[in-house]
Amino acid sequence: MKLIATGSQTVGPFFSIGLAGLCQPRGMQTAAGSITIQGTLFDGDQKPIPDGVFEFWSTGQFVRTATNPDGSFSAVLRRPSDAHSFEVLIFMRGLLRPVFSRVYFGEASTLNNDECLLQVPEERRATLIAQPEKAADHFLWDVRMQGENETVFFDF
Amino acid sequence: MGTSSMSNAFSDRNATLASQPPYLYPSYVSSQKRAPTKPLIALPESLSNLKAPVFGHDSLRPSDGDMTKQHSGEPLGERIIVNGQVVDEAGHPVRGALIEIWQANAAGRYKHKNDNHEAPLDPNFTGCGRVITDNEGRYRFVSIKPGAYPWRNHENAWRPAHIHFSLFGAGILSRLVTQMYFPGDPLLVFDPIFKSIQDTAARARLIATFDWAATKPEFAIGFKFDVVLRGDKATPMETNHP
Repeated sequence: MKLIATGSQTVGPFFSIGLAGLCQPRGMQTAAGSITIQGTLFDGDQKPIPDGVFEFWSTGQFVRTATNPDGSFSAVLRRPSDAHSFEVLIFMRGLLRPVFSRVYFGEASTLNNDECLLQVPEERRATLIAQPEKAADHFLWDVRMQGENETVFFDF
Repeated sequence: MGTSSMSNAFSDRNATLASQPPYLYPSYVSSQKRAPTKPLIALPESLSNLKAPVFGHDSLRPSDGDMTKQHSGEPLGERIIVNGQVVDEAGHPVRGALIEIWQANAAGRYKHKNDNHEAPLDPNFTGCGRVITDNEGRYRFVSIKPGAYPWRNHENAWRPAHIHFSLFGAGILSRLVTQMYFPGDPLLVFDPIFKSIQDTAARARLIATFDWAATKPEFAIGFKFDVVLRGDKATPMETNHP
């Protein structure tokens, strides 16, 4: 017999009470072998979302970071040896269940044969690709919940 | 299973699964500008079985499991003992699962800078707990019963008393954030967050039951709240296996 999974509910606006303990400390410096992914989370009016929380997952790695009052977020991540992307869960007030996205930080040429990216309509792929910044190992990735450049979210 | 055709590459399995809420639920007003509007993309099965992090018992302090013992005095309110079992869809216990818990105090006030409604903070209550399930998937924590919380979603809107739960299971697909409600709460029928789950049986499973066995005389009322986590397969629906 198969049981039915418990229903999801929103994290609400006060999740930091319970979830801050596992959040990455702010102001982490990028060490050798690590990268920083930073950006801003936007709603359907393209207003920043101050109460979102990101979880970056890869093999053996889990990094959680919450958005700032201006909707910005930043995560310092160990560069995975076996991938050029992270799985990302995003929770926020207004989301009854998390969205599942993916962020790529590799060279464009390494992404051409990516099994997951090939499932995404070509015109939407750019929403999953973090852009290298001037500072070494820094990448910019804005997340838009709605609108013309809505970030790609996966069914899971 | 296996490779996805274009037709199911654009399906939203969870939305058709009435035991889970949709992204867009208009009467929950803040979903309107935050719910994705474009089609979800099917995740290749091979890429969705990431294992969850393991959290050891050494990451917890003893007071993490007793929210009445985190300050110099006792918090005001009805003392409660919440316990239950975390299992996967096959009914197997989920061992060593980290549960993060947060809630309002007995007056319905959250200890958070953005909760400014006119109810007192309790200097002896933070409302943050953490527990790890044992070898049978069981957990237990002590707290006080949270009060109803007013919000501005609609006229005279009050959230029913609830405790937030965040759980880690086997893998990324098992990750769950939910809320536990209390039996007999008259506010439940007005709450769009609770009602966003269409299946009434699934909805009812978010309501804890009074637990006589867990109740301690002259100390605390017991409640039972069991949780079922998804496994790590990307195909949760039985309709995928006709």
